Amino acid sequence: MGKYLSIAGISIKNSLVYRASVTGRVVFYFVFIFVFFSLWSMIYSGNEIAGYSLVQMIWYVCMTELVVFCSGSEIFGRMNHEVKSGEIAYRLLRPWNYIFMQFADMLGSMAFSASVFTVMAVLLGFVFAGPIQGFNPASVPLIVISFVLSITMNFFICMSLGLLAFYFEENSPFYFIYQKLLFVFGMLLPIEFLPIWTQGILRYLPFSLITWGPARMVVNFSYEYAFEIIPMQAAWCVFSVLLAMFVFSRGVRKVNVHGG
Amino acid sequence: MAAIVLENLSKTYRVKVRGEGLKNAIKSLVRPDYREVEAVRNISFSVNEGEMLAFIGPNGAGKSTTIKMLTGILHPTGGSMNVLGYNPVKDRRRLSYNIGAVFGQKSQLSFHLPPVDSFRLLSSVYEIEKSAYESRLKRLADLLELNEFLDTPVRKLSLGQRVRCEFAASLLHAPKILFLDEPTIGLDVVVKHRIRDLIIKLNKEENTTVFLTSHDAGDVENLCRRAIVIDHGTVALDMPVKKLKYDYLNKKVVSLKLNESAGIPEPPGVELIKKTPYAVKFSVDTRIAPISKILAMLDAGNIADITIEEPPMEDIIEAIYMGKREGG
Repeated sequence: MGKYLSIAGISIKNSLVYRASVTGRVVFYFVFIFVFFSLWSMIYSGNEIAGYSLVQMIWYVCMTELVVFCSGSEIFGRMNHEVKSGEIAYRLLRPWNYIFMQFADMLGSMAFSASVFTVMAVLLGFVFAGPIQGFNPASVPLIVISFVLSITMNFFICMSLGLLAFYFEENSPFYFIYQKLLFVFGMLLPIEFLPIWTQGILRYLPFSLITWGPARMVVNFSYEYAFEIIPMQAAWCVFSVLLAMFVFSRGVRKVNVHGG
Repeated sequence: MAAIVLENLSKTYRVKVRGEGLKNAIKSLVRPDYREVEAVRNISFSVNEGEMLAFIGPNGAGKSTTIKMLTGILHPTGGSMNVLGYNPVKDRRRLSYNIGAVFGQKSQLSFHLPPVDSFRLLSSVYEIEKSAYESRLKRLADLLELNEFLDTPVRKLSLGQRVRCEFAASLLHAPKILFLDEPTIGLDVVVKHRIRDLIIKLNKEENTTVFLTSHDAGDVENLCRRAIVIDHGTVALDMPVKKLKYDYLNKKVVSLKLNESAGIPEPPGVELIKKTPYAVKFSVDTRIAPISKILAMLDAGNIADITIEEPPMEDIIEAIYMGKREGG
């Protein structure tokens, strides 16, 4: 365990080198929220759409974007690069679990940007929408758990997709499709906007559980909802970790390290 | 005792083959053709504990592939191996506590951070106790003279400084076997010597087994007693370096720049390669004519500059093959 903490620690230190890129993404985040704010302000004329008020809707977008901006999706690119360039060779030489080493590394590298984005999300929520009515501070611990599960499961899914580089010369289409599914099934819209029968399916799928799951918990919390969503997220987390381990352990046998 | 044993080890890659043109591109989408590339074919040998072995051969001969199989990075397609009692395929993690590697063309240090940060991380990854780590780092830093730049970000180090840090990183956990894949590539003579001295010292004091691939004849000559030559994935020669040297490393190329135009003596064993009025290049067969004897025959006062080179490893390997063909 200690070694994984050290990995996260050094990764925090390393991430501070990239302050400029965090600043750039903060600006981008602001632009995103602003565009959605304008969009929803135009659309909303009455009080509610599919059970969401305008205030809730803006907070919803702030939260789903938060997940997307700090969920370490870069792991896809990194896996892809490490496998294809053969950099993975040095990392296979060490006494660690490769999958968890990468996870620890990601936790460290996003610690700084995640705190920046959390502050941004809450700030922009208040600026553009104002406080959420009936928000219960006692719900915060469960909300945090839900976010952590979201980020973890997104990480291991992206990692599995990246590790497909072991098998395919070109694996980015998988990632592209995954990103779009996240976008349409939860990030852009709460799934309540979609037909009832799709909601029945989507609330069990990782795409919606990553974005819609925690965001809805922020804007419209209920214990009943939390205790339905969190176990499902946890189950998908376990599945995605196992998936990454499976793809890795099969793929590593195929590793080709070129050059010499 | 044997530290490394290989028996009929093989590695075959499957490479997708693409024909030219659109028709073949579409065909490869539907039914791709694969070509089998045999990187390593049935090699068998063993290396004793404390031995320093040179594993040499031309580019693409299978040297790196073999090292990567022995370290557990690549999985062999056939045969078996045993490294320090472990099977690298199954016991990669347990084996990794006992081996170290330097790949001359790849880095294991965090690019933006000072080397000391990477060292500290490695000490925790290898579960080295704090006091043991500190004394080990101090020793390596002294031997490799790292103290000046331990706190400088790696991106600001010169190649020589960086490679010295790579060595320290690979040696922190006191590995029993050190795998070196082209470790001195691109380094100047001074750094090369410092690294060679370190390897010799570790081998003497800690009985570290060294498995070296290098294109540098100097590395091979100065470090190893035994050399295995590999070509096209098979062992071509396995002999003491002394004999290899006697048979194949016996040529030196001397280039002279002269103050005044003059000839050079040409006793047996000396062969003129090129001559212009103020420069002479000749090769010396040191079996017939010791280099010191030849230098003594030159008019020292007339020499403006002199370089003595060893033939590159490629030439030596070519010579080995020529010799084999002539002999057999």
